[in-house]
Amino acid sequence: MSLDIREGELLAVVGENGAGKSSLMNVLYGLYHPDSGEVSVGGKSVRLKSPRDAIALGIGMVHQHFMLVPTLTVAENVVLGREPTRRGLFDWERAVKEVAATCERFGFVLDPRARVDTLTVGSQQKVEIVKALHRGARVLILDEPTAVLTPQEADELARVMRGLVAQGRTVVLISHKLKEVLGVADRIAVMRRGRLVAEVRPSETSATALAALMVGESQRAVMSNAAATPEEKLASEALLEAVGFPAQGDNGRPAQHGGEAHLGDVLLEATGLQALGDNGRTAPRVSEKFPGGALLETTGLQALGDNGRPVPRVGEKPPGDLLLEATGLQALGDNGCPALRGVDLTVREGEIVGIAGVDGNGQRELAEVLTGLRSLTAGSGTLLGRPLKGLTPAEARARGVGHVPEDRLRRAVVKALSVEENIALGRHSGPPFAKGMWIDFAGRRERAQSLLAAYDVRPPEPTLPLQALSGGNQQKVVVARELDARPRLLVVVQPTRGLDIGAVTQVHARLREARAQGTGVVLVSLDLEEVLALADRVYVLFEGRVTGQFTRPEYDERELGRRMLGAEQAHG
Amino acid sequence: MGERTRQALPSVLSVLLSLVVCWMLIAFSRDTDGLATATAAYLQMLWGGVGDWPRFLDGAPITVLTRPLGEAAMKAALLTLTGLSVAVAFKVGLFNIGAQGQMLLGALAAAVVGAHVALPGVLHIPAALLAAALAGGAWAGIAGALKLYRGVHEVISTIMLNWVAVRLVDNWLVVGPLRGVAEAGASITGTAEIHPTATLPRLLGDMSRLNLGFVIATVAAAAVWAWLTRTRSGFETRAVGLGDEAARAAGIPVARRAGLAMALAGALAGLAGAVLVLGTEGRYPGTLGAPYGFDGIAIALIGNNHPLGVGAAALFFGVLRAGGTRMQLLDVHKSFPELIQGLALLFVAGRLIWLAALRRRSAPKPVTAAPPAPTAQVPHA
Repeated sequence: MSLDIREGELLAVVGENGAGKSSLMNVLYGLYHPDSGEVSVGGKSVRLKSPRDAIALGIGMVHQHFMLVPTLTVAENVVLGREPTRRGLFDWERAVKEVAATCERFGFVLDPRARVDTLTVGSQQKVEIVKALHRGARVLILDEPTAVLTPQEADELARVMRGLVAQGRTVVLISHKLKEVLGVADRIAVMRRGRLVAEVRPSETSATALAALMVGESQRAVMSNAAATPEEKLASEALLEAVGFPAQGDNGRPAQHGGEAHLGDVLLEATGLQALGDNGRTAPRVSEKFPGGALLETTGLQALGDNGRPVPRVGEKPPGDLLLEATGLQALGDNGCPALRGVDLTVREGEIVGIAGVDGNGQRELAEVLTGLRSLTAGSGTLLGRPLKGLTPAEARARGVGHVPEDRLRRAVVKALSVEENIALGRHSGPPFAKGMWIDFAGRRERAQSLLAAYDVRPPEPTLPLQALSGGNQQKVVVARELDARPRLLVVVQPTRGLDIGAVTQVHARLREARAQGTGVVLVSLDLEEVLALADRVYVLFEGRVTGQFTRPEYDERELGRRMLGAEQAHG
Repeated sequence: MGERTRQALPSVLSVLLSLVVCWMLIAFSRDTDGLATATAAYLQMLWGGVGDWPRFLDGAPITVLTRPLGEAAMKAALLTLTGLSVAVAFKVGLFNIGAQGQMLLGALAAAVVGAHVALPGVLHIPAALLAAALAGGAWAGIAGALKLYRGVHEVISTIMLNWVAVRLVDNWLVVGPLRGVAEAGASITGTAEIHPTATLPRLLGDMSRLNLGFVIATVAAAAVWAWLTRTRSGFETRAVGLGDEAARAAGIPVARRAGLAMALAGALAGLAGAVLVLGTEGRYPGTLGAPYGFDGIAIALIGNNHPLGVGAAALFFGVLRAGGTRMQLLDVHKSFPELIQGLALLFVAGRLIWLAALRRRSAPKPVTAAPPAPTAQVPHA
């Protein structure tokens, strides 16, 4: 793909998770290296080997996760790495003076003497921006800057960005929030699957049109179960990214490319994309963009009408008993802000219920509520015959809830324990893993060996520490353990993140197998394709509310995409 | 090289290295004949710890063996118990620096029950031991509760509780309300003498001071090992220590496991105090002096936080400590064993460096990916 960035403009790059926005920007900042293609700055072709090169060329980046030392002052953070010194000692007063001058020059209101951990998130972000400017950045890349901001702070940031552009600096804004992009950008580049699919001006487009571009015009909607064959998966995984930058000042590009990609000379391999995905997903964040987002809890679903019940599919047995029925679920996120704002949800035996949404819209918290890891602040529900409120992880397991969590190393396994000990984890109190208060070593070994064989874990060595296995094999161990417990309800979050194609195929097959055996599966995934391929029903979460519900024959990927971006409000 | 050997090697090598360094320190600190003196001092230390075998073989009575061995065993018993205390807390992810304070409380409890409660012999010792364990456990429990309910870091709270224990026990209770009544005009320091029924019996009679305390410590090490490796709750405890969030998600009561492990740690340190009072001192002396609680940290780390490793390390340093006094015969200060222990701890702290060095030496053994296993054996499908 090709993209040019002009001096003194505010360019927004939008796209879904995994579209390649951050990968592209990391290439510009020297963090990733293009396999082919080139980057030119000011007409000269350059090689960016590291962020140091990028900084030297006047490219600054503000990451989604701030890179600040919380216990140092604003001034110290800004000058960190190039501190002014006097007689070999750090000259604090001069640092303060220099930073104050930079702040004034660009119109930032910041106290250089304040400790960073006393500042609000919005101010910390300004410190990051000042840091980049202080190092002489002429091009400033902001990666999802508003993800962590309150609406007021986001407005303030927009003002700051416009101010910088007015002073002749260039700002590249990466976002998937269409409304704010429309309000602030000079030009919008839309990326999808590693390609630039359109360049538009805000005045010539609308949120709906942008969403359509981001999600794609194609109707991949109804995917059969067979769609996830290794070959197809391979094709979809290989989101090849091409980067080829024409020299700057190459004007006269047509305003809209209508979904046509500039397949340039260059290919970035899919692994880069994978890493990007990881980036985008780590931060729990609760966006508070929508003023109308006040607690709409119980009415959430009613507004959507009556597609609340799964439609029995022809030729397949209809889903069975209700395993989970929840109304008005509310819970706080890790940062103390509401993450679930009234979610209604039902899951039946023998169906896979997908939870789709852009990262950070409450999916993680929903999965945690269902597994007893996060407490509810409001709402009620029945989970496997008993109330959802007050559920603990132990109680959830006792009722028959299985859990394949998102953060494998933190939550699913203890990496320093052996493979067989990890297989026992969570079920270590009963047969075949324990006899009374004692561990049943023989029974555990036997079960571990048969599971390792059945799930093709390599090497099939139960005594190895779990961390000696590859990520895919670790995940197989987790899936094997959870399914071996014969759960009635299985909550899986991002089950195939970071796995190779073989492991992905196997995990998908196992989930279908569980469904066939009557397990109700809640599948949370940021990969819409995965959700559509596996799920019988899909709930779309946006800002902690269900903004759409779809049943298999009615999948409309465009509509799904719009709902994921919160477009539901616009159309009532 | 087996996994167990690989785990133990850094500790063994660290101890050997510290022995060499100390040997050189002794040698260089002498004006004349340094090397010979250092070697002779090490030999004296050895005979002082494991028994004077040359003299025994020359026809000396057996007590030249049993006396030093008994001393070594008693020191080893105390080090084992405090080392286990620190190691158990480590297993659940907590750093118990408070073994000293817990030991003080345990010693006092044992002294009080031993002196002020009249019970038949069969019950008196268990009662005193139990009281010591409970007192130590409760003292550690304060730090545990502060950690679990208030988020106070256990390093801070246990260090501070050490000082509280010293002030409370040494500076008030023992010189005040619990001070022993002087008999026949002789003024005594410390608490009243314990009843003979509460005294830990000597295992070899008059031949050595070796007493039941050594057995208690050995059994404790074996029991802690069995608990950690063989039982469900021990498994849960290790899981909490190695990955508390995963343990929580697996339904393990993380707070309860951490709290219980901390209490057990305190109980073990308390037992150390009891063994000291009931076995050798006979009362709570004016001040407990020997910082076995702090030594426990070194022993636990050198023993790699493994209950049996702790036992082995305690035994080794018990021998060195017992023999250290005999180095004075050659005008070498008796604190060298402590220096050896301290240096060994320092070297063990570089564990990763040892492991990296060992890894480079042993030829990389590629993990052979096994052929795809037959898929027919889906478990109970």
